[in-house]
Amino acid sequence: MEFELVIIGGGPAGLMAALTAAEKGVKTAIVEESFALGGQLRQQAQVLENLPKEFGKQSGIALAKFFSNKVSSIGVTALLGHTMIGTYRNGTIGVSNGKDTFPIYAKKILVTTGAAEQAALFPGWTLPGVMTIGAAQILLNRERVLPGKEAVVLGCNSISYDIAKQLRACGVNVQGIIEKKSIDEIDKELIEKFESENIEVFFHSNIEKAAGKQHVEKVWIDNDVLKKEREIDLVCISNGLYPVTEPLELLDCEFTYIENLGGRIPKYGSSFTTSNSSVYVAGNAAGITCIEGILVTASIAVTGILEDLAILNNIEAKKQKEILWTELLKAETGRYSKVHDARISLVNDFLPKEI
Amino acid sequence: MDKSTIVCKCEEINIDEIETALKAGACQFDDIKRLTRCGMGPCQSKVCTNMVREIIAAYTGEPMEHIEYPKNRMPIKITRLGVLVANQETSSVVSVFKESVSEVDTNG
Amino acid sequence: MYINDHPLLESEFLEEITFFYEGKQLIAKSGQTVAAALMGNGIKVFGVSRKLQQPRGVFCANGRCCSCFVTIDGLDHTLSCMTRIEEGMQVFFNGGDPVVGRGGSGI
Ligand SMILES: Cc1cc2nc3c(=O)[nH]c(=O)nc-3n(C[C@H](O)[C@H](O)[C@H](O)COP(=O)(O)OP(=O)(O)OC[C@H]3O[C@@H](n4cnc5c(N)ncnc54)[C@H](O)[C@@H]3O)c2cc1C
Ligand code: FES
Ligand code: FES
Repeated sequence: MEFELVIIGGGPAGLMAALTAAEKGVKTAIVEESFALGGQLRQQAQVLENLPKEFGKQSGIALAKFFSNKVSSIGVTALLGHTMIGTYRNGTIGVSNGKDTFPIYAKKILVTTGAAEQAALFPGWTLPGVMTIGAAQILLNRERVLPGKEAVVLGCNSISYDIAKQLRACGVNVQGIIEKKSIDEIDKELIEKFESENIEVFFHSNIEKAAGKQHVEKVWIDNDVLKKEREIDLVCISNGLYPVTEPLELLDCEFTYIENLGGRIPKYGSSFTTSNSSVYVAGNAAGITCIEGILVTASIAVTGILEDLAILNNIEAKKQKEILWTELLKAETGRYSKVHDARISLVNDFLPKEI
Repeated sequence: MDKSTIVCKCEEINIDEIETALKAGACQFDDIKRLTRCGMGPCQSKVCTNMVREIIAAYTGEPMEHIEYPKNRMPIKITRLGVLVANQETSSVVSVFKESVSEVDTNG
Repeated sequence: MYINDHPLLESEFLEEITFFYEGKQLIAKSGQTVAAALMGNGIKVFGVSRKLQQPRGVFCANGRCCSCFVTIDGLDHTLSCMTRIEEGMQVFFNGGDPVVGRGGSGI
């Protein structure tokens, strides 16, 4: 199999990139491990408020559907159930479909493998019934099964807010949010949101342990003043996200460590090119950001790819990239300004002359 | 926290075993991996990486950014051996198999 | 438990299909993963860990953690969260590592 552009990961970043590339006539394929396109949007029932204008306001689920319909109508090859598992000696990517392993040749590779959820350590965390909050959201909204009936959530953040609300709407009793930090270290607005929903947050607290015979039955919540024992059948861990970068490692990309982008991150320039000049990165794999940021980074990467493939001339590409970087700055203000600052310094370190 | 708490859920390695490896001279994740199998389970350390790195950071007093990540090896996702060798033309695994087969042949 | 009237989502007509868990006939909705089909039937423990034989089930639902192994149609250690349920599928509890030593003795 041979393509001009191969995209690893069919989430919002990969789909956005595939659409733009295919519109310009680039022979494009998406390699997607799952049996459907849409990535982690497929279970996000909450309305995404700040999408780029052309998308309006819609839920993640609706946006995933929109993208996947469009991509299949525009002639992108979607290789579902295909996982990039390695590289051959000459750098060609190796893909497995569960029956066979084979190379896919590409002039350019865009890695949009997204982010994964961080686990959390406490005695009993390996018991069935203890899961990441994203897993609970997948069961609830994508699979339409109840992950449990009585829940506690570890971690007070915007994702746990959205999902705790969704769990409750479906009849799960969310007994409370357990948060390590003290109340003054958490965004006031977020605390007010939890308060207005009447969801109790235990600050400066931790799960001392979880226990149960075959399945989680109880947690012990520990803080300075009290120890609370709770009977539950679901513990959701919301302990942050980190970029999924294994494919980039195998493609010999150089890495650096930037806390504000989610930890270990590939080095990239202002077109999201990595140190391997045929490999690009975008979306949450290029640093954890908001959905608007995810879409704009994909647009920038595609502009760079189109320029490299000589489909866009340098002047046009430069103009477009300037517009897109302004959009990215706008998307990453406020809550995400630290992300943006970190990104800028990463890009400046990569190619000091370019920006 | 209770030192018997499992950190690597695939290989079931607990805090105590990791700290013992550190006491024995391990400095980075890959050292602990070689000593204990921590991180060598079916998920290939996708779940335990940062939890182990945090334990190393706490033990050594180094900041997290100095704590190395374990090296990723192919295949990066769980893959059956039969799937790796299924495509005879492109598989490098097959050539290794063939070598051992021909060795058997020549040696009788 | 299957959510019939999801308060946040449009209702969807999903065909019912039958599958087997440990030989017992159960019902799932088409399009669901094997993991969800099991949880929809109240089954939350899918197998045991390889060393200490401790219970395991869904953790990441994303094919990364390998906690959700089951045996599907004779293939052991299959990720139930990444496999779609199909009519007549035979699903079994993951009882640990297979015996791989010579002659099946495990040594
Ligand atoms: C379970 C979960 C729930 C989340 N919920 C929320 C939420 O409620 N709100 C929020 O703001 N953010 C959430 N996120 C963050 C999420 O990363 C972003 O919302 C967004 O989906 C990221 O877009 P992306 O295109 O960068 O990557 P993703 O949407 O993650 O898409 C990446 C795709 O790459 C595929 N892939 C990965 N590795 C390979 C490989 N080796 N070969 C082939 N394909 C591969 C994956 O299957 C996936 O489909 C969640 C993340 C997770 C993991
Ligand atoms: S949790 Fe450590 S290898 Fe899987
Ligand atoms: S639940 Fe993590 S791999 Fe299936």
